[in-house]
Amino acid sequence: MTEPPVRPFRGIRLIDLTLELGAYATRLFADLGAEVIRVEPPGGRADRRAGPPLDPARPEAGGAAFAFLAAGKASIVLDDASEAGRAALRDLVSTAQVVVYDADERRSWMVPLLTGIPGDRVVTVLSWFGLTGPYADFAGCDLVAQALGGIAYLSGTAEGPPLRIGGGQSAIVASIYGAVGTAAALADVERQGGRHLLDVSAQEAIAHSLQNAPQVYDLEHAVPRRGVAAAPLMQGIVTCRDGAVLIAGPPFMADQWNNLVRWMADEGHPGGTRLRDPEWTAPDAQADHALRAEFRDIIADFLGHRPRAAVLEEAMRRKILIAPVNAMADLPHDPQLVHRRFFRGVAHPALGRDLVFPGAPYRLSEPVWQTAAAPALADVAAAAEEG
Amino acid sequence: MVPKFLEGVRITDLTWAGAGPYSTKVFSDLGAEVLKVESRVRPDPVRGGKPYKDGVPGLDRSGYFASRNNGKKSVAVDLKSPGARDLILALAAQSDVISNNFAPGAMERLKLGYEELRAVKPDIVYLGMPMYGEDGPLAGMLGVGMTIAAVAGMIDRTGYHDGPPLGPGTHFPDHAVNPYHAAFAVLAALRHRRLTGRGMKIDLAQVESTLNSMGVPFMEWSATGVEPAREGNRSRSHAPHNIFRCRSEDAWCAVAVLGDEEWQALCRTMGRDDLAGRGDLRLAEGRLGHVEEVEAAVAAWIAGRTPEEAMAELQAAGIAAGVVSSAANLMDHDPQLRARGYWQVIDHPEMGETRFSSPPYLVDGERVELKRPPLLGEHTEEVLARVLGYSPDRIAALRDAALLR
Repeated sequence: MTEPPVRPFRGIRLIDLTLELGAYATRLFADLGAEVIRVEPPGGRADRRAGPPLDPARPEAGGAAFAFLAAGKASIVLDDASEAGRAALRDLVSTAQVVVYDADERRSWMVPLLTGIPGDRVVTVLSWFGLTGPYADFAGCDLVAQALGGIAYLSGTAEGPPLRIGGGQSAIVASIYGAVGTAAALADVERQGGRHLLDVSAQEAIAHSLQNAPQVYDLEHAVPRRGVAAAPLMQGIVTCRDGAVLIAGPPFMADQWNNLVRWMADEGHPGGTRLRDPEWTAPDAQADHALRAEFRDIIADFLGHRPRAAVLEEAMRRKILIAPVNAMADLPHDPQLVHRRFFRGVAHPALGRDLVFPGAPYRLSEPVWQTAAAPALADVAAAAEEG
Repeated sequence: MVPKFLEGVRITDLTWAGAGPYSTKVFSDLGAEVLKVESRVRPDPVRGGKPYKDGVPGLDRSGYFASRNNGKKSVAVDLKSPGARDLILALAAQSDVISNNFAPGAMERLKLGYEELRAVKPDIVYLGMPMYGEDGPLAGMLGVGMTIAAVAGMIDRTGYHDGPPLGPGTHFPDHAVNPYHAAFAVLAALRHRRLTGRGMKIDLAQVESTLNSMGVPFMEWSATGVEPAREGNRSRSHAPHNIFRCRSEDAWCAVAVLGDEEWQALCRTMGRDDLAGRGDLRLAEGRLGHVEEVEAAVAAWIAGRTPEEAMAELQAAGIAAGVVSSAANLMDHDPQLRARGYWQVIDHPEMGETRFSSPPYLVDGERVELKRPPLLGEHTEEVLARVLGYSPDRIAALRDAALLR
């Protein structure tokens, strides 16, 4: 028999008091070997049932978000509404090196409780706006965090309203910044003891993700906006015969334009001549609406009738930045992801079948990443009573 | 505070452009030593990326570069010159981590592949972060944040509820999950090394990383076989839930009613007893069925207010609401970011006083104090002398041989 691999967070117990914001952070620790224990009230925490269900006919199987975010974690039932429950929570946290908590207005006693428990530990608290400041008690959600964080202003059409990015990104970015900060603080605690409190703000996490918009304002006094006119001329979504592609030609990559024009010329497309005119690469071309519209027509005419796979293959050969605009259903057929065996089947007892999961966000040369189904409530509670 | 969480960790950092330098910036912010290798022959391309201080180009004037490289030490080495490989191997031998975000195969062509690095530093942590991973039929595909977002499903999921996919207005994955998945993997690998004495190779395919940020919609599709509807600013669980136009040009406020009590509070705030009393709007399901009507009520109420007024009134009633902030609003007006000291001013020899984003957390109630980004080649001599023990004569000889430039 071979020894099981030593996983990176072996020996770390993490008490998970997250809801929406921190759940992905604790999942990252669980997948790399930390013992992550969700503490739930009787009946389970609300995040089990939040959002769209895995199976609309069986809501008791839980939500899709829970299946993804709670994968590989354990669960224990403790009623923190009672003094006995809070005492048990204190005891549990006192055995842990990390505790991650999503600030909850109904539990204003929680942060003092967690930071008051003796021992060497990282306490990470995630909230929409941070634990201090005039918005500390504001109600938040993904839409509001993307608005107040500044990313919504940069997406959408010029004429339409600002637009949030899909997939619940404010929780994802708050989690991932929180996970990195927590892992770094843990390295310090393990080296020299002590305790650290990380106060992670989702608004700040979004504000940290604005590409260069703050620098444009600070250094050049311009305010970046959304819409096609704000994007490079050679950028946009083109509908091919059987699906859409994105062409992205950042102006600082001059080869992109030249490679595209050469492709058109090689195939005898009129764009191969038209786009050679120096007006296209003049400094003011990027802001010229007529040129933009003409480019959109040319590229649509050039690519629109072709099968998407053929466009992608030729673009890759010619080193042109063109990528498929994939829907969820396209992803398991992506030849690269298939080749890398990226997707993982995970047995999901609550559904009675396997679910296909995204694989690890990083491939490691040691076999230390693994995941498992999100924990059922009753089973684990019973096991905890036995144990 | 100046945290020393990662004190004693040294990274030889060959990353450039967006996602790579952001991932190693975490390390310099939190106390590690990051040796940024670049050169005048091949500077980090974002040194040539807008914006520049006062719009004047210059290798040490780019805000794009500055905001991703705080606290790093710039070591100017021409990687293509003979002898560069030996110098990088010497730095790697004194480092805990070596990082790059080149296309697959580039490190091997420089003869700096994982095995070659392991030969000089057996427990090195090696981070590579190409677009699509280092092997496979599409490994050679060029990528930027936006094409990664396209492949990983993020563009398709981003658009108005009644329109086509639009995608984020930025290269979002470059500044969100990809650098921090990379940083987390490196921190995990360093702990693994403390436990086992072994290093690790990290192949972070940016598509695979970004796809995890779309894990929730992916799981919904995976379980049901049905492509989730594009929500835009709306929600499938709550209504009203949208971004509304306010008084004055391009002024907007996000409003999200997340529960049935909040709906009643909203009706009171808007002075709409008629809606509060409507049985068919009492529950979220009913409001979702009348979404145009409930949104119209909010739109009419909010149109005469500034976003700040609307947010204040709604938040006072316990309703999630927020100004849609531009960069100008965030930097000059947002009282929350100001109260928490989010923007830090650092004096820079070429750029003067420049504002920087802080890591998005307070540590023990304090800001992580940012350090100045390096001038190109600023630390070459100092690093070669201190880390490698090179004499001034030896350094001068390398400079004469055009290795250091």
